Amino acid sequence: MAQLFHRGANNVAKASLVIAVLLGGVAFYVYTQVARSSYLTNQFLEKQQPVQFSHKHHTGDDGIDCRYCHTSVETSYSAGIPPTQTCMNCHNQLWADSPYLEPVRASFRDNKPIEWERVHDLPEYAYFNHSIHVAKGVGCSTCHGQIDNMPAVYQESSLQMEWCLSCHRNPEAFIRPQSEIYNQEWDGNDLTVEQRQQLKADYKIRSTQMLTSCSTCHR
Amino acid sequence: MLTSNFKVQNPKPLISNRAIFCLLLLAAYSLLSLGCRYDMQDQPRYKAFKKNDFFADNKAMRELPEGTVARGYLRENKAFYQGKKENAGSNNATAATAAVAATTTDASGNTVVTSFPDAIEKNPVPVTQELLDRGEQRYKVFCIVCHGPVGSGDGMVVRRGYPKPPTYHDDRLRGAPDGHFFDVITNGWGKMNSYGSQIPAADRWAIVAYIRALQISQNPNGNVQMTQNNAGNAVNQTTPSNSATTQNQNTGGQNR
Repeated sequence: MAQLFHRGANNVAKASLVIAVLLGGVAFYVYTQVARSSYLTNQFLEKQQPVQFSHKHHTGDDGIDCRYCHTSVETSYSAGIPPTQTCMNCHNQLWADSPYLEPVRASFRDNKPIEWERVHDLPEYAYFNHSIHVAKGVGCSTCHGQIDNMPAVYQESSLQMEWCLSCHRNPEAFIRPQSEIYNQEWDGNDLTVEQRQQLKADYKIRSTQMLTSCSTCHR
Repeated sequence: MLTSNFKVQNPKPLISNRAIFCLLLLAAYSLLSLGCRYDMQDQPRYKAFKKNDFFADNKAMRELPEGTVARGYLRENKAFYQGKKENAGSNNATAATAAVAATTTDASGNTVVTSFPDAIEKNPVPVTQELLDRGEQRYKVFCIVCHGPVGSGDGMVVRRGYPKPPTYHDDRLRGAPDGHFFDVITNGWGKMNSYGSQIPAADRWAIVAYIRALQISQNPNGNVQMTQNNAGNAVNQTTPSNSATTQNQNTGGQNR
C-alpha cells in the first residue's frame, strides 16, 4: 500500500498549527477594530436634522447657556430636548419669516413636536443619568466634546462600555469644579493632581469598586 | 465503518439525518442572531422623547389633561406660585378688573406697566446670599440673553435684532413690587414669552432677588434710600441689602 501522505506532510501539519493560531489572532484583532469602529458606534457621524439647527451658532456665537434649552440636565436623567416654545422665545421675532425655520413654525402652529434625530443613543440595558454626572463634576464637554464648535452635532465619544469605565475607574482625571461644568472651552490640564484628588473628595465620589459595580449601570 | 460491521445490533447511523438538520438549523440561527443586537438595545418600552405612533401627536410623553392637579401640586400658595396678593382677582374684583394695570408706551415702543395693583410687594422667599447666588446663576442662563449682564436690555439676542426690552434701571421698575417681576417671568409680557415652564417658581424668586441686586448695583446713590424704603416691610431686614451690595461688587465687572 502506497504512502497516503508525502514526507513533507509533517511540516505542513506543524505549520498549519502556527498559521491557525496566527489567523485566529488576526481575526480577533479585526473583530476588535470593527467593533470599535464608527461604523458600529456611530461616532463622529453627523445626523441630518429636520431643521438645520446649529449649536455652534446658538451657544458658540450667541453664548446661550446649555441649560437655556436643556433645562432638566441638573434634575433629571434626561437633559431634555426643548419644546418648540423655547425656539419661539427668540424666533417669534428673529428670522420669523425665514423658510429655514418653517418646520419650527409649523410645529408651533400644529402643536406637533419636531422629530429630531437622536445623536446619542445609549443601549437601553445601560442606565444613565445626566443629573448625577453634572452634580459630581463631569462637564458637558467631557462626554459631548466642544458642542460650540459643531454646526451639526455628532457623537464625540464611542459610548461603549470601555469608554464609560475609563472614567468610572479613574474619575479624578475627568472631573472639574462646579463653576466650569458648562464651560465648553475647559481644559482639564488646568488642575494639578492634588486639586483633582481634593475635588474627588469634595464631590464625595464613591470608590472605584462602587463605580464599576455591574448594577451601577445595569439595573 | 462501525455501522456497516454491526448492522444488526446498531442499524442507525452514528449521526442521524435529524441531528444534522438540527445542527444546521442551529448554525443558521447563530449566524442570523449576529444581527439581533437590537433586542436588548431598543427595548419595547418608552423613555423620554421617544416616538409613539399610537397617539395622533406621536408623543410617548403624554400631557396632563387640562385641569388635572397631581398630588402635591395644587400650588395654592398664591404669593409663592403667582406673585399675586391673596385677594387679587377674587372677592369684589372680577378677573377683568383685577388684570387692569395702568400701562403706557415707552420710547422704544414697548407697552409697559405703570401700576401694580395685584402684585405682592416683597419676595416671599427669605433673601440670603444663597438665594442671590442661585439667582445670579439662573439669570445668566435665562435672562442675560436679552436683558444683558446688568439688566439694561442689551443682551446678545437683542444685538442680533430682537426688540430691546425696557431697562431695569429706571424709577418705574425700581419702584415696581417683586411680584411684578415674578409675574412677567411666569407669564411673559409684551414680546417676552412665558418662562414658567423653563424656570421653576423657587428659581424665579431667586432671579427676582438678583434683579433687585442689579438695580442697586446700577444706582449707588439711590441705594441707601431704597434700603430704607424696603426696610419697613422686608422679610429679612438685614441680609438683603448687605448681601445684595456685596454681590453686585463681585459680579458687576466680570460679565461678558
